[in-house]
Amino acid sequence: MRNADRISGIFWLCFALLFIAKSYQLGPGTLRQPGPGFLFLWINIALGMMSLSVLIRGWLGKKSEESAVFGRQNLTRVIFVLISLFLYVLLLEILGFILTTLLLLIFLLGIIEKKGWFFAVSVSAVVTAIAYLVFEVWLMSQLPKGFGGI
Amino acid sequence: MDILQSVLYGFQVAMEPINLVYCFFGVLIGTLVGVLPGLGPPAAIALLLPSTLKATPVSAIIMLAGIYYGAMYGGSTTSILVNIPGEASSVVTCLDGHQMAKKGRAGPALGIAAFGSFIAGTFAVVMLTLIGPLLAGIALRFGPPEFFGLMLVGIVVLTFLSSGSMLKALMMAAVGLTLSGIGMDSITGKYRFTFNIRSLLDGVGLIPTVMGLFGVSEVLMNLETGIKREILRAKVKNFFPTLKDWAASIGSIVRGTILGFFLGIVPGGGAIIASFASYAIEKKASKHPEEFGTGAIQGVAGPEAANNAAAGSSFISLLTLGIPANAVMAIFLGALMIHGVQPGPLLMTRAPDIFWGTIVSMYIGNGMLLILNLPLIPLWVMVLRIPYYLLYPLILLFCIIGSYSIGNNTSDVFAMLTFGIAGYLMKKFRYEAPALILGLVLGGELEASLRQSLMMSQGDFSIFITRPITLGFLIIAVMLLVLPVITRRRSLSTLKE
Repeated sequence: MRNADRISGIFWLCFALLFIAKSYQLGPGTLRQPGPGFLFLWINIALGMMSLSVLIRGWLGKKSEESAVFGRQNLTRVIFVLISLFLYVLLLEILGFILTTLLLLIFLLGIIEKKGWFFAVSVSAVVTAIAYLVFEVWLMSQLPKGFGGI
Repeated sequence: MDILQSVLYGFQVAMEPINLVYCFFGVLIGTLVGVLPGLGPPAAIALLLPSTLKATPVSAIIMLAGIYYGAMYGGSTTSILVNIPGEASSVVTCLDGHQMAKKGRAGPALGIAAFGSFIAGTFAVVMLTLIGPLLAGIALRFGPPEFFGLMLVGIVVLTFLSSGSMLKALMMAAVGLTLSGIGMDSITGKYRFTFNIRSLLDGVGLIPTVMGLFGVSEVLMNLETGIKREILRAKVKNFFPTLKDWAASIGSIVRGTILGFFLGIVPGGGAIIASFASYAIEKKASKHPEEFGTGAIQGVAGPEAANNAAAGSSFISLLTLGIPANAVMAIFLGALMIHGVQPGPLLMTRAPDIFWGTIVSMYIGNGMLLILNLPLIPLWVMVLRIPYYLLYPLILLFCIIGSYSIGNNTSDVFAMLTFGIAGYLMKKFRYEAPALILGLVLGGELEASLRQSLMMSQGDFSIFITRPITLGFLIIAVMLLVLPVITRRRSLSTLKE
């Protein structure tokens, strides 16, 4: 956990420093009249100190036999899925629920999971149809519509 | 007499056909969620919350509660049959439950898990009925300093009981508290920490946060490591444990029930801790500890009773004090607020239909689970055969639709995905999400009670030590933080590994 502790320690230390500065700007107020930044100033001072000790622990800790935080093998899979999800949300209100969902599922099943195009397209179509029926028709969720009202 | 009348009123509410239907769907979905690995109760409740918005608050809460205790039943099924815990509180059930299944005793294992769960769940609900009004009566006398102390204890206990580093859990609680400050300050009306991002003006939403931290991050982890499963092909028969089985496990069920009940009440405790603690106790209490891990029925009966008792009793502090005991209860608190219900000591008098209706629906739901579950086991085994490459796109789709439908805009979905990545990284770097959720949920109340207390005392911090109840809470919190009770924690965490 040495490297992991160093990286995460630095991250949270920065987080705490940012919020300490912001809380100070907001005004901690006085003890009689605590201001909007009061609690958060103190919490982040505490967070900063705790991050420091994680950081120090990471530096002083023994070299451990633990493996790297990220295994290389499937990391690309995770990243591709994440990118597809962000694209999905960006396109959702432009293309509408039905078309975007269909594209996402075909991408996940056909390209990420390599399940064959016939399988990917037919399963995606069925799932999209069921999701539409359940959420739009039954639960009346008002899913986004794209051009042409679909 | 009063209680009897209230319970009867609760039955009136819970037996309304629409509420029965919601209860049924709740426990059914809950069992399904429990069966499916990679989708735990917190994510499932957050997922279905938007779909209950059109129901009455009572029906919605009854269904959401059903999902929670239903999942406790479902989780054990997969632990026993395929050695995969459907959710975290069934992890220990794998140890002996699956060994029993391998020896051809899957039926009795499932049976004792179901009966043990039923006994424990019912006991918890009865106690909730009896203790709830008492506790609410005491809490009515609480002022801001007492509530501040209580919430502080809640946060400290959760971090104390966390499986990983307590320091990191405390850090996550601090981060959660900080995130709760984003948005408008309710006392001065000032906007805080919005960084000129428009979607932050309303603050950080609980539902996208939970879905991201528990739903999406879980999928990402599974995508990276891959899920392997072997399905037990053998026929499952003889669900009814024999007299010998009963004799062996009744003590475990009683111990598990009582232990789980108390761990569920404590803020920060809950089903997961209860099941681990029960397993440890059963192993210690047994005359043949060497049998544990090879198919001892006590190792199934105790933890299963404990996690159900805890699931029931964790409602106590939420419904009577307004303090969520764990991450699931934190989402419940959010759910109640979305439905315009403020949980706390006044809930019982202001909204008796919700308080008593929900409690009584748990009696009914527990009964439904017992009747439903055993015959449906073949169905759950079939559900388990759904391959993960089909399951995870569905979970992701659910998360997206769920977070979109909160406000019909994509900013909540972006927030959810961001928290999904955050949750994935937190798992990687060993930071625990429940503490963050608890901080986020309690933050608003904690800050208000702190500022009100200081205004009451005109800036004098001694208000926290001159009031006996507050002092008591603070002493507990400090003790948990300072005392080197590491030995106990260590034994718990080695067990978890």
